[in-house]
Amino acid sequence: MSEQHHDGRGNLSPPEFEQVFLPHLDAAYNLARWLLRNDQDAEDAVQEAYLRACKAFPRFRGGDGKAWLMTILRNVCFTMIKRSRSHEKPEPFDEEIHQAAGQSDLREAFRQQANAETLRSALEKLPDEFREIIVLHDLEGLAYKQIAVTIGIPIGTVMSRLARARARLRVELITSNVRQSSP
Amino acid sequence: MNHDDVSRLLGAYLDGELDLTTCMALEEHLAGCESCRQKLEADQELVAVIQSETPRFEASPFLKTRIHAALRAEKSLPLPFWRRAWLLPGVAVAALLILAGYIYYQAPGIPPLVQEAMADHVRSLQVSHLMDVASTDQHTVKPWFAGKLDYSPQVVDLAPAGYPLIGGRLDVLDDRNVAALIYQCRKHYINLFIWPSNGPSLPGRLYVRNGYHALGWTRSGMNYMAVSELGEQEFADFVKMIQDKTVETRPGE
Repeated sequence: MSEQHHDGRGNLSPPEFEQVFLPHLDAAYNLARWLLRNDQDAEDAVQEAYLRACKAFPRFRGGDGKAWLMTILRNVCFTMIKRSRSHEKPEPFDEEIHQAAGQSDLREAFRQQANAETLRSALEKLPDEFREIIVLHDLEGLAYKQIAVTIGIPIGTVMSRLARARARLRVELITSNVRQSSP
Repeated sequence: MNHDDVSRLLGAYLDGELDLTTCMALEEHLAGCESCRQKLEADQELVAVIQSETPRFEASPFLKTRIHAALRAEKSLPLPFWRRAWLLPGVAVAALLILAGYIYYQAPGIPPLVQEAMADHVRSLQVSHLMDVASTDQHTVKPWFAGKLDYSPQVVDLAPAGYPLIGGRLDVLDDRNVAALIYQCRKHYINLFIWPSNGPSLPGRLYVRNGYHALGWTRSGMNYMAVSELGEQEFADFVKMIQDKTVETRPGE
């Protein structure tokens, strides 16, 4: 597999780099946009990731190009996040509402009001690692194994982190509905 | 398998990520456990909603253009050792600086201003910084410079002639901030620097260095400097069209 990406002297074979990686542009942008929350930063991060991927391409030994690109991209994104948010404190997690979220009468509220807007704002409230894993799995359709490679964590951790991320998203959805329906 | 195991594995079960044995054990438990079945239903519903309702962002066409340009620049450098597999990215950056420096300092017979413009051009293609404002619309690019410069560059549209405007950038040339307009011709890029003249007119002479062409001229009190890796004929055509289309401006305009 790797041979087809390189010419005989081990140099880059540029059209092939683009063939392998440009199809993942939307997926890359989607992840960057969700992580960085604005268009300009997301575009810069994606471009930076493509440049790094291109430079590192000779070390790419075939296999999963999407996971490989996403690995580079998430590193770029988290570096940018660290740089820009080092002074911010994470929003405290409301334990009371968290407990209430399990109640079944709230399930109905969630069912009725889950739409693109509530989903968007709920997902934006999640911690970066949770948002990331939901985007990778539920939006971009990466398998657990690909996510394990991308993030650099064991598959078991992918499973538990995704479960916690979804549970937390459920809580955010329900609390946004509760806030909406009680003035 | 107990309730805790099931609740831990439900997500992976829904995602089709469990191996067959675990899957069967889990289904066996589910068959006899109402509360776990309800949990499964609730999770199923949640995952379905997340997957169907969450908005997905798509890359703009300009991002694709930007990345094409950046990758192209990355690959087209005239220094062969750039592309060697054993090179670390840091060495690549050093190579860029050496190249820019080489063009800038080691070019006898080429005026410093032209060398500087060529170096700006190379750098603009390299450092993921081709454009500050990406737009094919001259009426978007021109106002973008307002407030960033103490003059307003004339932005000419050459798309019908095969040289579409793709954006603008602030750059530094001749010890001052200048407007850089970026035009594209097939897969090549042209930087057109525009700034007010406060000295003698630029001579309108073509300079060639390492495959880069540069030509500066002065018109209506403004200096123009075009730089590109385009072929000489296409480059000359571009310059001619810009010169023809840059109308004389009246004082005060």
